[in-house]
This record gives sequence, C-alpha cells and structure tokens, in this order.
Amino acid sequence: MASLSPEERTALRDGFARLLADRCTEKDVRRTMETASGYDPALWGQIAAMGVTGLLVDEAHGGAGAGPLELEAVMEAAGAALLGSPLLSSAVLAATLLAAAGDEAAKARLLPGIADGSLIATLALTGDAGTWTPEGMAVTAAPAGNGWTLDGHASFVTDGQTADRVLVAANGPGGLALFEVEREASGLDTAALPTFDHTLRMARLTFDKVAAQKLDATGPAWDAVQAALNMGLVALAGEQAGGARRVLEMTVDYAKSRIQFGRPIGSFQAIKHMAADLLLESESATSAARNAARALAENAPDAKAAIALAAFACADAYATTTATAIQMHGGIAFTWDHPAHLYLRRARAGAQLFGNSNHYRERYLQALEAQA
Amino acid sequence: MTDNQLRDEVRAWLADNWNPEERAGFLAKVVEARWAAPRWPVEWFGRGLDDTQARIIEREFAAVGAPGTAQDRTNLWANTVLAKGTEALKHQLVGRLLRNEVGMCLLYSEPGAGSDLAGIRTRADRSGDGWVVNGQKVWTSSAATADYGMLIARTDWDVPKHRGISFFFLPMKQPGVEVRPLRQITNEAHFNEVFITDAAVPPDNLLGREGEGWSVLQTALAYERSVMGEAARGPRSGAKEAGGAAPMVALAREAGVLADPLIRQDLARVTALRQLNALNTARAKADLGQGTSSSLMSLGKLAMSRILHEEARLRTAMLGAGSLLEGPDHPRAEDANFLSLNAYFTSIGGGTDQIQRNIIGERVLGLPKEPEVDRDVAFREVRGG
Repeated sequence: MASLSPEERTALRDGFARLLADRCTEKDVRRTMETASGYDPALWGQIAAMGVTGLLVDEAHGGAGAGPLELEAVMEAAGAALLGSPLLSSAVLAATLLAAAGDEAAKARLLPGIADGSLIATLALTGDAGTWTPEGMAVTAAPAGNGWTLDGHASFVTDGQTADRVLVAANGPGGLALFEVEREASGLDTAALPTFDHTLRMARLTFDKVAAQKLDATGPAWDAVQAALNMGLVALAGEQAGGARRVLEMTVDYAKSRIQFGRPIGSFQAIKHMAADLLLESESATSAARNAARALAENAPDAKAAIALAAFACADAYATTTATAIQMHGGIAFTWDHPAHLYLRRARAGAQLFGNSNHYRERYLQALEAQA
Repeated sequence: MTDNQLRDEVRAWLADNWNPEERAGFLAKVVEARWAAPRWPVEWFGRGLDDTQARIIEREFAAVGAPGTAQDRTNLWANTVLAKGTEALKHQLVGRLLRNEVGMCLLYSEPGAGSDLAGIRTRADRSGDGWVVNGQKVWTSSAATADYGMLIARTDWDVPKHRGISFFFLPMKQPGVEVRPLRQITNEAHFNEVFITDAAVPPDNLLGREGEGWSVLQTALAYERSVMGEAARGPRSGAKEAGGAAPMVALAREAGVLADPLIRQDLARVTALRQLNALNTARAKADLGQGTSSSLMSLGKLAMSRILHEEARLRTAMLGAGSLLEGPDHPRAEDANFLSLNAYFTSIGGGTDQIQRNIIGERVLGLPKEPEVDRDVAFREVRGG
C-alpha cells in the first residue's frame, strides 16, 4: 500500500473537511437524513472526485492505493460533519473485503465502480442476533446448477437499501463462504429498517433461493471478513474521535457565550470540570483511533489489541461526550432543532455497530493475554 | 567549536575522569571542567553553549552513565539563584549547589494555603538590613537535613494577595526553625511541617525585589515542572510482580480471578486507561517535535490520578477479603491498600484534580475564570481560616 506522507495526509483531511464544511452543514445533514437513500448524490460525486471513495482501492483498479492512516484521517472529518453516506459500507467494508478475498475477477468487476463512486456495495454479515461474529450469521448457501443460491436472512445491513451489490457471508457445504448478490436478484427482499440514528441507513434482507456468485477467495472466508471489519472499526473509531472533538468544541463555545447569573456558564466550575473531563475523553479517542490505524497499516503485532482498544475506547468516549454535551447545554439541547441529539444518535449507533464495547473489551483482554 | 570537536573533548575528558567505582569528588571535577551547566555563561561555570551542543554533552555523559551535567536544565535551586539571586548570594551558593554541597527544601504550602497558594500568611518583617520570619509551612521534604529553604512569605499586607509576597532563601539551621515529621495516611513520613518563629533572613537572601515573590515563584515552579516528570510510585511490598504488556492481567491470574467476566471487563477498562495515557503522551511529544503546542501535556496529571485510583480499586477487587489484611505476610494486600491511599498523592499533591480541571478549562479550552472575591482587595481584608 502506498501511504501518504503526514503532510499529504493532513492536506487530504483538510481538503475533505473543507468540502464537508461547505456541503455538509447541519442544514444539509438534516435535509439528507429525511431522504430515502440517506445520502446526497451530488456530494457523493464530489467525495468520489476527491479520491476518497477510492482511497483504499489499489491503483490498478482506479483507486489511490492508500491505507488505514489516510482512511482514519478522512473519517475524523466525516465524523465531525456528521456525514451520511455509503462511505463506510462501500469504500471501506466492501473494498477491503474484495481486496482481502483476492478474487481477481470480482475485483475487476466491482472495485473500479466502488473507487469512482458509481457503484455502491455493502456487506451482509449478521442475522437478527446482530453480533458480527461467525455464530451470528443466518444465511445458508447451496449449489444450484453452475452457481449458488442463498437462503435465510441478514440484518443491520448498512446501506442495504441503496447498495447495487451485496457481499454476503453464508454457510455452505464447505463452510463459510462469500457471495455476491445483485440488488434486483429474484427472491431477494430488502426491507429498510427504521434507525434511531436518522443519518444511518440499514436494511434487513431476506433470501429465498437467491441466485448468487461465489467469490473465489484465496484464503479462509472469515479472514477476509475480519480484514473488512478491522478496517471498518478503524474508520468508525476515526469518525467517533472526530465527532467527539466537534461536539466538545460546540459545547465549549456555548459555555463561553451562554450567560446565566450574570456570567458565562463556562465560568462555573460545575461546567468547566465537565469540559476538562471531556477533553481527556476526546483526546484519548483521537490517540486510540490513530494508534489503531498505525497498527493496522503496519500489520503490527499489537494490531488486534490496538483495534479492539480503539473500538471500545472511541465508542465509549463518543457516547460520553455526546451525552454530557446535552447536559452541559441544558434545555436548548433537549430540542429537536439543536444538533446535539444528532451526534448522540450517531454515537449510540456506532457503539453497537460491528459489536459493542463489552465485546471489544473482552477481545482487547484476550489480545493482551496473548501478548503477555 | 564544532559539534565533533566538542564531542571529542567530552569523550576524552570522561575517559580521563569518570570511573563508576570512584564517584567521590567527581561532581566537583564536572563543575570545574564547565560540564555541569554548559548553557550558562562562562562567568558562571558554563560555556555559553546553545541547546544542541549542550545535548551533545548530555548524550556523552548518559552514554557512560556519568552524573552531573544538564544542571542548567535540572538543578531547580541553582537555576533559581542564578536567575533571581543577589550577586552576593550567587557567589555564595551557585557553585556549591552545582556540587551538591547544599541541602535544600521548599517552603511554599501552608496549612491555610494549599490550592490557593497566594493566600499564604507566613510573614517576613524588616529587621535591620534583613528580615524576621514567623509562620508555618507544610509538605516540606528533606527539611530536617536542609541548609536553606526556598521560602515565600508576606511582606506587605496592604496590597492584593499576589503583590505582597517576597521570595527568600531561609537559613534552616537556626533556633527559630523547628521541623516535625508529618505522618501520612500511608503511615509513612516523607514530608515535614516547619514551624518558623522569629527566624532571621540575611539581607542578601532576598530573590527578586520585595513584593515580587510571586513572579520569582513562577520562575522556580517552571524549573520544577520541567524537571519533575510525574514519577508515580509503584507497589511498596517489594514482592515480585510479573511485568509484560499487562501487569494487572498477571495479578488477576495470580489471584485466580482471570476467568471472572466482571473482572475481565474491569481489567480491560483499567488497562486501557494506562495505555491511552501512554498514547496521549506519545502524541504530545510528537506534536511538540513538530513545533505545535499540545493541549495533551496538561491532561497527563489528571489522567494519571484516575489511573492510579482505578488500578488500586481493581487490585482491591481482585483480592476480595484478602485486602482486609496488612503486613509483610500479605504483600498483595499491602500493595492494594497502600496504592489505594497513595493515589491521593497524585490526585491532591501538586494541584488537586479540581484545580487541574480549572487549569485545563481555562488555559486549554479558554473558558472564563470564576469571579475572585479576593481580587484587588488588600490582603489584610481577605477572609482566612
């Protein structure tokens, strides 16, 4: 993977942040979250033109060939702006799964479209259990003629209602395998799920003898899934760190300008001390997210621990920050028209996506035990 | 002199003069050879070098394990005297301080002035050409052996609190200075109370001008902060603990609770706090290296105090009823209980967590200060107690 220099990475993040500051304002977020697709196609085109959708795709398939460090940096900006888009589903999860599975034909078929944003793909990895573990999957595969058919269901499929292609992990006669399904495939029923985070799109997919193309994976299928989840967790951690920092900034600004008892509420230690504690939360989240990106980029021995740490530390820091921010604002943040609850909703969603904090604390501990 | 010439000179000098088996007298030689404070001017034991060249000397000393250099960065006492002392005091003490021939202590905090240090009530009154001091100081380490104490005392009661303070070198070995050990909650005594009754300060021992003590104190505190990397103490039992990536994990295994899912969650949470702090510190250093200031530095102490309290709590939880005991036959209980109490050393000492949160809120986040009722009021009128 061609990593950018720290300066180039900063420039990429800043350029992306400027685009979002211009085109993904709170007003834009609110408008977009009311749409069925949950994303703004015009903005999506600009994100693609900047190279962000193709960040992880190799140059042979039309991407930038960058890695986790670059991804984490842009996701901090995405999180700060509360961007609603299929970036995580398509450009992160699907792109990584395809690269890791190593099916050259599938890569040639799908990666160029993912890279230029013209094709949206996503992963179906868990059933109603919502565990994102091998045990949680509820799709089975059976051979049919020259191909395969899928039966069962997949839930919490991010952007499942908008994806052109769904990459499905399913149990077949030979164990776990990966399959590609077209959105219009016969027997596939896609039901949009009502999400608490209105900027997030999820669907439940029901498979009834759905024709599917098997990916010719070069290694165990779960390894490719784990690679995609690892990249997804780094992206999510970056988004959470960026979101936490933005919410703290908003809250500190408010504490400086809101006057009660004849003085700014930020001069009261009751508020000031909460802000100081949140600074520690958001800085620690930033450190954890960047450390996970570093470890994954280097394929370091501590990568498993670093990713698990970021998974729960960033999720918890974001949840704490957004919840405390509402309390610090007081009544104004209890209104729908104030953005604080939008961030809280995103934080609560991220805290469940791909496994919750208890799950990742256990994984972190297992990794430490293995290191010791 | 080029970097290479300097490096050769230090190496040659160390080869001729440094013998780890023969340490007596070495410090005096370091001072005489002008290695002790190379950034200082030539007239004060130095060489007037820039930081880059001084670091070359420090690296050569470190490479052979020789002490005594870098005192222009690390010797709080000598730096303070050189920066703010009278000519007479500098001639009297700078060389001896560099040679570590003078015992020193700090006389700042008082029973009535902890977080609000500018609220001190120890007084220094003019007496002849010098001063006579009365009052009480606390949290003083090394007071019993010290020759001098760096003292802040009030010399003017008719101006607001920060403006009436002066900074002195108080001779400790005199009848008016009484030192009593202070027994801590850990049943140790690392600090003392110092009772000062009609103790004399000679005329040359005022640093800065009368009434400018607060600004001299800021200079001294800045040296102190740059020197003291937050060195939190570990267990005191001396019982061997497995190191590795996660010492708490090893303790849980030893205590037979590593399979307990609640303990496992707690272990991950607490271990993560320490790792996150290490990551923050590393990021702060990288930021500083790039010349950008970092808000992370100020968070370290607050984070460390939480880590120490949490680790001690978890150690206690892992022991269960075992933590009821103490003494040499129960080293793990001894550790858990000691660390539970000693965590307050970090969460109170050197600025309480609450003061630290004020500093972070005001200096890092830019939040406004609380109104101060004792501001612009003659200290005589300020409420004490």
